[in-house]
Amino acid sequence: RRAASGSQGQGQGSGSGSGSSSAQPLEPSLLRFLVCPLSKRPLRYEEATNELINEELGIAYPIIDGIPNMIPEAARTTRKKPPAEGSKQP
Amino acid sequence: VYQVFESVAKKYDVMNDSMSLGIHRVWKDILVHKMNPSPGTLLLDVAGGTGDIAFRFINYVRSVRERQLQRRLRHHQNLSWQEIAESYQEDKFKSLGDSQVVVCDINKEMLKAGKQKAQDLGYSEGLSWVLGNAEELPFDDDKFDVYTIAFGIRNVTRIDLALEEAYRVLKPGGRFLCLEFSHVSNPLISRLYDLYSFQVIPVLGEVIAGDWKSYQYLVESIRRFPPQEEFKAMIEDAGFFKVDYQNLSFGIVAIHSGFKL
Repeated sequence: RRAASGSQGQGQGSGSGSGSSSAQPLEPSLLRFLVCPLSKRPLRYEEATNELINEELGIAYPIIDGIPNMIPEAARTTRKKPPAEGSKQP
Repeated sequence: VYQVFESVAKKYDVMNDSMSLGIHRVWKDILVHKMNPSPGTLLLDVAGGTGDIAFRFINYVRSVRERQLQRRLRHHQNLSWQEIAESYQEDKFKSLGDSQVVVCDINKEMLKAGKQKAQDLGYSEGLSWVLGNAEELPFDDDKFDVYTIAFGIRNVTRIDLALEEAYRVLKPGGRFLCLEFSHVSNPLISRLYDLYSFQVIPVLGEVIAGDWKSYQYLVESIRRFPPQEEFKAMIEDAGFFKVDYQNLSFGIVAIHSGFKL
Protein backbone atom coordinates (compact mmCIF):
# COMPACT_ATOMS: atom_id res chain seq x y z
CA ARG A 1 0.00 0.00 0.00
CA ARG A 2 1.28 3.41 -0.82
CA ALA A 3 0.83 6.32 1.47
CA ALA A 4 1.35 9.76 0.07
CA SER A 5 4.15 11.00 2.22
CA GLY A 6 5.12 14.62 2.53
CA SER A 7 8.80 13.99 1.85
CA GLN A 8 10.48 15.78 -1.02
CA GLY A 9 10.17 13.91 -4.26
CA GLN A 10 9.92 10.41 -2.90
CA GLY A 11 6.96 8.51 -4.24
CA GLN A 12 7.28 5.58 -1.90
CA GLY A 13 7.12 5.77 1.82
CA SER A 14 5.09 3.16 3.58
CA GLY A 15 3.11 4.93 6.24
CA SER A 16 5.20 4.33 9.31
CA GLY A 17 2.19 3.43 11.33
CA SER A 18 1.69 5.78 14.23
CA GLY A 19 -0.12 8.95 13.30
CA SER A 20 2.40 11.61 14.11
CA SER A 21 5.37 10.23 12.20
CA SER A 22 5.78 11.36 8.64
CA ALA A 23 8.02 9.39 6.32
CA GLN A 24 10.51 12.23 6.04
CA PRO A 25 13.79 10.80 4.87
CA LEU A 26 16.86 10.99 7.01
CA GLU A 27 19.56 13.48 6.13
CA PRO A 28 21.94 11.16 4.24
CA SER A 29 25.12 12.70 5.63
CA LEU A 30 24.01 11.76 9.13
CA LEU A 31 24.45 8.10 8.35
CA ARG A 32 28.16 8.73 8.27
CA PHE A 33 28.27 9.49 11.99
CA LEU A 34 25.31 7.76 13.54
CA VAL A 35 25.87 4.58 15.52
CA CYS A 36 23.89 2.73 18.12
CA PRO A 37 24.26 4.66 21.39
CA LEU A 38 24.47 1.43 23.35
CA SER A 39 26.97 -0.61 21.38
CA LYS A 40 28.48 2.18 19.25
CA ARG A 41 28.19 -0.13 16.29
CA PRO A 42 26.97 0.88 12.82
CA LEU A 43 23.30 0.94 11.95
CA ARG A 44 21.38 -0.03 8.88
CA TYR A 45 18.81 2.32 7.46
CA GLU A 46 15.58 0.50 6.72
CA GLU A 47 13.63 2.53 4.21
CA ALA A 48 10.43 0.55 4.53
CA THR A 49 9.89 1.39 8.18
CA ASN A 50 12.07 4.52 8.26
CA GLU A 51 14.14 3.14 11.08
CA LEU A 52 17.77 2.66 11.93
CA ILE A 53 18.40 -0.97 12.74
CA ASN A 54 21.08 -2.49 14.91
CA GLU A 55 21.06 -6.08 13.71
CA GLU A 56 23.30 -7.41 16.48
CA LEU A 57 21.19 -6.19 19.37
CA GLY A 58 17.97 -6.52 17.46
CA ILE A 59 16.71 -3.01 18.02
CA ALA A 60 15.36 -0.32 15.77
CA TYR A 61 15.45 3.41 16.30
CA PRO A 62 12.59 5.36 14.75
CA ILE A 63 12.98 8.43 12.59
CA ILE A 64 10.25 10.93 13.21
CA ASP A 65 9.84 14.08 11.14
CA GLY A 66 13.30 13.47 9.76
CA ILE A 67 14.82 13.43 13.25
CA PRO A 68 16.30 10.10 14.33
CA ASN A 69 15.37 9.18 17.88
CA MET A 70 18.54 7.65 19.29
CA ILE A 71 17.37 7.26 22.86
CA PRO A 72 17.72 3.58 23.78
CA GLU A 73 14.46 3.56 25.75
CA ALA A 74 12.57 4.57 22.64
CA ALA A 75 13.98 1.82 20.46
CA ARG A 76 11.84 -1.05 19.39
CA THR A 77 13.08 -4.61 19.58
CA THR A 78 13.06 -6.35 16.24
CA ARG A 79 13.53 -9.92 17.43
CA LYS A 80 9.94 -11.03 17.86
CA LYS A 81 8.00 -10.59 14.63
CA PRO A 82 6.20 -7.30 15.10
CA PRO A 83 3.98 -5.73 12.47
CA ALA A 84 5.96 -3.25 10.38
CA GLU A 85 4.26 -0.26 11.99
CA GLY A 86 4.00 0.56 15.60
CA SER A 87 7.36 2.05 16.48
CA LYS A 88 7.23 3.00 20.13
CA GLN A 89 6.84 6.66 20.92
CA PRO A 90 8.66 7.97 23.97
CA VAL B 1 14.34 17.90 33.78
CA TYR B 2 12.62 16.61 30.65
CA GLN B 3 9.30 18.15 31.53
CA VAL B 4 10.92 21.46 32.40
CA PHE B 5 12.24 21.73 28.89
CA GLU B 6 9.12 20.41 27.28
CA SER B 7 7.14 23.26 28.70
CA VAL B 8 9.97 25.69 28.21
CA ALA B 9 10.73 24.84 24.57
CA LYS B 10 8.32 27.15 22.86
CA LYS B 11 9.05 30.18 24.94
CA TYR B 12 12.76 29.40 25.23
CA ASP B 13 14.05 32.17 23.08
CA VAL B 14 11.74 34.81 24.52
CA MET B 15 12.64 33.80 28.06
CA ASN B 16 16.34 33.84 27.32
CA ASP B 17 16.09 37.34 26.03
CA SER B 18 14.10 38.62 28.98
CA MET B 19 16.04 36.85 31.68
CA SER B 20 19.44 37.83 30.44
CA LEU B 21 18.33 41.14 28.99
CA GLY B 22 19.46 39.91 25.62
CA ILE B 23 22.99 39.35 26.84
CA HIS B 24 22.80 35.62 26.18
CA ARG B 25 23.15 36.49 22.50
CA VAL B 26 26.46 38.16 23.18
CA TRP B 27 27.68 35.19 25.21
CA LYS B 28 26.83 32.85 22.36
CA ASP B 29 28.49 35.14 19.83
CA ILE B 30 31.64 35.13 21.93
CA LEU B 31 31.56 31.34 22.06
CA VAL B 32 31.48 31.01 18.29
CA HIS B 33 34.13 33.68 17.85
CA LYS B 34 36.33 31.84 20.26
CA MET B 35 35.74 28.69 18.26
CA ASN B 36 36.78 30.56 15.12
CA PRO B 37 35.68 27.74 12.84
CA SER B 38 37.11 27.50 9.38
CA PRO B 39 35.07 26.17 6.44
CA GLY B 40 35.02 22.40 6.47
CA THR B 41 34.63 22.17 10.23
CA LEU B 42 32.38 19.48 11.63
CA LEU B 43 30.57 20.63 14.73
CA LEU B 44 28.53 18.64 17.21
CA ASP B 45 26.29 20.90 19.24
CA VAL B 46 24.88 19.03 22.20
CA ALA B 47 21.83 20.17 24.11
CA GLY B 48 21.55 22.73 21.35
CA GLY B 49 17.83 22.22 20.88
CA THR B 50 16.69 25.49 19.44
CA GLY B 51 19.77 25.92 17.29
CA ASP B 52 21.29 29.12 18.66
CA ILE B 53 24.87 27.92 18.41
CA ALA B 54 24.30 26.03 15.17
CA PHE B 55 22.97 29.09 13.34
CA ARG B 56 25.80 31.26 14.58
CA PHE B 57 28.29 28.64 13.44
CA ILE B 58 26.79 28.56 9.97
CA ASN B 59 26.77 32.35 9.70
CA TYR B 60 30.38 32.54 10.82
CA VAL B 61 31.60 29.90 8.43
CA ARG B 62 29.64 31.43 5.58
CA SER B 63 31.24 34.81 6.06
CA VAL B 64 34.71 33.31 6.34
CA ARG B 65 33.98 31.38 3.16
CA GLU B 66 32.78 34.50 1.35
CA ARG B 67 35.98 36.29 2.20
CA GLN B 68 37.96 33.28 0.99
CA LEU B 69 36.07 33.22 -2.29
CA GLN B 70 36.45 36.95 -2.80
CA ARG B 71 40.18 36.65 -2.30
CA ARG B 72 40.30 33.80 -4.75
CA LEU B 73 38.24 35.64 -7.35
CA ARG B 74 40.60 38.57 -7.19
CA HIS B 75 43.39 36.22 -8.13
CA HIS B 76 41.35 34.84 -10.99
CA GLN B 77 41.45 38.07 -12.98
CA ASN B 78 43.78 36.51 -15.52
CA LEU B 79 41.79 33.39 -16.27
CA SER B 80 39.92 32.81 -19.50
CA TRP B 81 36.13 32.69 -19.41
CA GLN B 82 36.36 28.97 -19.95
CA GLU B 83 38.42 28.49 -16.83
CA ILE B 84 36.21 30.71 -14.75
CA ALA B 85 33.07 28.91 -15.89
CA GLU B 86 34.64 25.58 -15.00
CA SER B 87 35.62 26.67 -11.54
CA TYR B 88 32.06 27.76 -10.86
CA GLN B 89 30.95 24.24 -11.48
CA GLU B 90 33.37 22.65 -9.10
CA ASP B 91 32.74 22.28 -5.44
CA LYS B 92 35.16 25.09 -4.82
CA PHE B 93 32.32 27.55 -4.61
CA LYS B 94 30.16 25.80 -2.07
CA SER B 95 28.97 28.46 0.27
CA LEU B 96 29.58 26.49 3.43
CA GLY B 97 32.69 24.76 2.23
CA ASP B 98 31.65 21.36 3.58
CA SER B 99 31.09 22.60 7.09
CA GLN B 100 28.45 20.73 8.96
CA VAL B 101 26.72 20.93 12.27
CA VAL B 102 24.81 18.17 13.99
CA VAL B 103 22.49 19.34 16.72
CA CYS B 104 21.85 16.72 19.37
CA ASP B 105 19.34 17.18 22.14
CA ILE B 106 17.47 14.86 24.46
CA ASN B 107 14.25 16.78 24.14
CA LYS B 108 12.07 16.32 21.09
CA GLU B 109 10.20 19.59 21.56
CA MET B 110 13.39 21.62 21.64
CA LEU B 111 14.61 19.91 18.46
CA LYS B 112 11.35 20.45 16.65
CA ALA B 113 11.39 24.09 17.65
CA GLY B 114 14.96 24.35 16.39
CA LYS B 115 14.19 22.64 13.12
CA GLN B 116 11.25 24.95 12.57
CA LYS B 117 13.37 27.98 13.36
CA ALA B 118 15.94 26.79 10.85
CA GLN B 119 13.28 26.57 8.20
CA ASP B 120 11.87 29.99 9.04
CA LEU B 121 15.29 31.60 8.99
CA GLY B 122 16.27 29.83 5.77
CA TYR B 123 18.99 27.49 7.03
CA SER B 124 18.98 24.30 5.05
CA GLU B 125 22.29 22.79 4.13
CA GLY B 126 24.90 21.56 6.54
CA LEU B 127 22.49 21.15 9.41
CA SER B 128 21.17 17.93 10.96
CA TRP B 129 19.10 17.13 14.02
CA VAL B 130 19.36 14.10 16.26
CA LEU B 131 17.47 13.08 19.36
CA GLY B 132 20.08 11.72 21.71
CA ASN B 133 21.43 11.61 25.24
CA ALA B 134 24.64 13.49 26.05
CA GLU B 135 25.63 10.68 28.41
CA GLU B 136 25.26 8.10 25.64
CA LEU B 137 25.90 9.76 22.29
CA PRO B 138 24.84 7.93 19.14
CA PHE B 139 27.98 8.92 17.29
CA ASP B 140 31.07 7.05 16.31
CA ASP B 141 34.50 7.73 17.82
CA ASP B 142 36.85 10.41 16.56
CA LYS B 143 34.36 12.09 14.31
CA PHE B 144 33.94 15.76 15.16
CA ASP B 145 36.26 18.76 15.04
CA VAL B 146 34.40 20.68 17.71
CA TYR B 147 31.94 19.75 20.44
CA THR B 148 29.90 22.50 22.01
CA ILE B 149 27.41 22.47 24.80
CA ALA B 150 25.85 25.78 25.66
CA PHE B 151 23.77 26.03 28.81
CA GLY B 152 23.09 22.34 28.66
CA ILE B 153 25.63 20.51 30.74
CA ARG B 154 24.24 21.63 34.06
CA ASN B 155 21.09 19.67 33.23
CA VAL B 156 22.94 16.43 32.64
CA THR B 157 22.65 13.94 35.49
CA ARG B 158 26.10 12.41 35.03
CA ILE B 159 28.31 15.24 33.87
CA ASP B 160 31.35 12.97 33.96
CA LEU B 161 29.72 10.64 31.45
CA ALA B 162 28.84 13.53 29.15
CA LEU B 163 32.44 14.73 29.30
CA GLU B 164 33.73 11.25 28.50
CA GLU B 165 31.37 10.98 25.57
CA ALA B 166 32.49 14.40 24.38
CA TYR B 167 36.06 13.18 24.47
CA ARG B 168 35.20 9.99 22.62
CA VAL B 169 33.44 11.57 19.65
CA LEU B 170 36.01 14.29 19.09
CA LYS B 171 38.79 13.80 16.58
CA PRO B 172 42.33 14.00 17.89
CA GLY B 173 43.05 17.70 17.86
CA GLY B 174 39.38 18.38 18.40
CA ARG B 175 38.12 21.04 20.77
CA PHE B 176 35.62 20.92 23.58
CA LEU B 177 33.80 24.15 24.32
CA CYS B 178 31.29 24.62 27.08
CA LEU B 179 29.33 27.77 27.75
CA GLU B 180 27.63 27.58 31.11
CA PHE B 181 26.56 29.52 34.14
CA SER B 182 29.28 29.67 36.71
CA HIS B 183 30.25 31.34 39.96
CA VAL B 184 30.63 35.00 40.71
CA SER B 185 33.43 35.72 43.12
CA ASN B 186 32.84 39.44 43.52
CA PRO B 187 30.62 39.71 46.62
CA LEU B 188 28.66 42.74 45.49
CA ILE B 189 27.87 41.39 42.06
CA SER B 190 27.09 38.07 43.67
CA ARG B 191 24.47 39.61 45.95
CA LEU B 192 22.84 41.47 43.07
CA TYR B 193 22.91 38.35 40.93
CA ASP B 194 21.26 36.28 43.67
CA LEU B 195 18.60 38.89 44.14
CA TYR B 196 17.91 38.97 40.44
CA SER B 197 17.92 35.20 40.10
CA PHE B 198 15.62 34.38 42.95
CA GLN B 199 13.33 37.38 42.91
CA VAL B 200 13.05 38.39 39.28
CA ILE B 201 13.55 35.33 37.13
CA PRO B 202 10.77 33.08 38.41
CA VAL B 203 8.42 36.04 38.20
CA LEU B 204 9.42 36.60 34.59
CA GLY B 205 8.86 32.91 34.06
CA GLU B 206 5.36 33.18 35.40
CA VAL B 207 4.52 36.33 33.48
CA ILE B 208 5.96 35.33 30.14
CA ALA B 209 5.67 31.57 30.09
CA GLY B 210 3.12 30.98 32.81
CA ASP B 211 5.57 28.73 34.55
CA TRP B 212 7.15 29.70 37.84
CA LYS B 213 8.41 26.25 38.77
CA SER B 214 10.47 25.58 35.67
CA TYR B 215 12.30 28.83 36.05
CA GLN B 216 12.87 28.30 39.71
CA TYR B 217 14.37 24.96 38.72
CA LEU B 218 16.62 26.73 36.25
CA VAL B 219 17.88 29.12 38.88
CA GLU B 220 18.55 26.31 41.32
CA SER B 221 20.35 24.20 38.73
CA ILE B 222 22.65 27.15 38.11
CA ARG B 223 23.54 27.36 41.80
CA ARG B 224 24.23 23.63 42.00
CA PHE B 225 26.66 23.59 39.14
CA PRO B 226 30.36 23.35 40.11
CA PRO B 227 32.47 26.53 40.01
CA GLN B 228 35.08 27.26 37.38
CA GLU B 229 38.07 25.43 38.84
CA GLU B 230 36.10 22.38 39.85
CA PHE B 231 34.54 22.05 36.44
CA LYS B 232 37.95 22.53 34.87
CA ALA B 233 39.20 19.56 36.90
CA MET B 234 36.28 17.44 35.75
CA ILE B 235 37.10 18.23 32.14
CA GLU B 236 40.71 17.27 32.72
CA ASP B 237 39.56 14.02 34.29
CA ALA B 238 37.83 13.14 31.06
CA GLY B 239 41.17 13.32 29.29
CA PHE B 240 41.22 16.80 27.85
CA PHE B 241 44.38 18.87 27.70
CA LYS B 242 45.06 22.59 27.84
CA VAL B 243 41.84 23.10 29.73
CA ASP B 244 41.07 26.64 30.66
CA TYR B 245 38.16 28.96 31.13
CA GLN B 246 37.15 32.48 30.35
CA ASN B 247 34.76 34.33 32.64
CA LEU B 248 32.09 36.43 31.06
CA SER B 249 29.96 38.98 32.87
CA PHE B 250 31.88 38.75 36.15
CA GLY B 251 31.68 34.98 36.18
CA ILE B 252 27.95 34.75 35.79
CA VAL B 253 28.86 32.72 32.74
CA ALA B 254 32.08 30.96 31.78
CA ILE B 255 33.44 29.33 28.66
CA HIS B 256 35.52 26.24 29.38
CA SER B 257 37.74 24.90 26.64
CA GLY B 258 39.78 21.73 26.27
CA PHE B 259 41.54 19.76 23.58
CA LYS B 260 41.75 16.09 22.74
CA LEU B 261 45.26 15.24 21.73
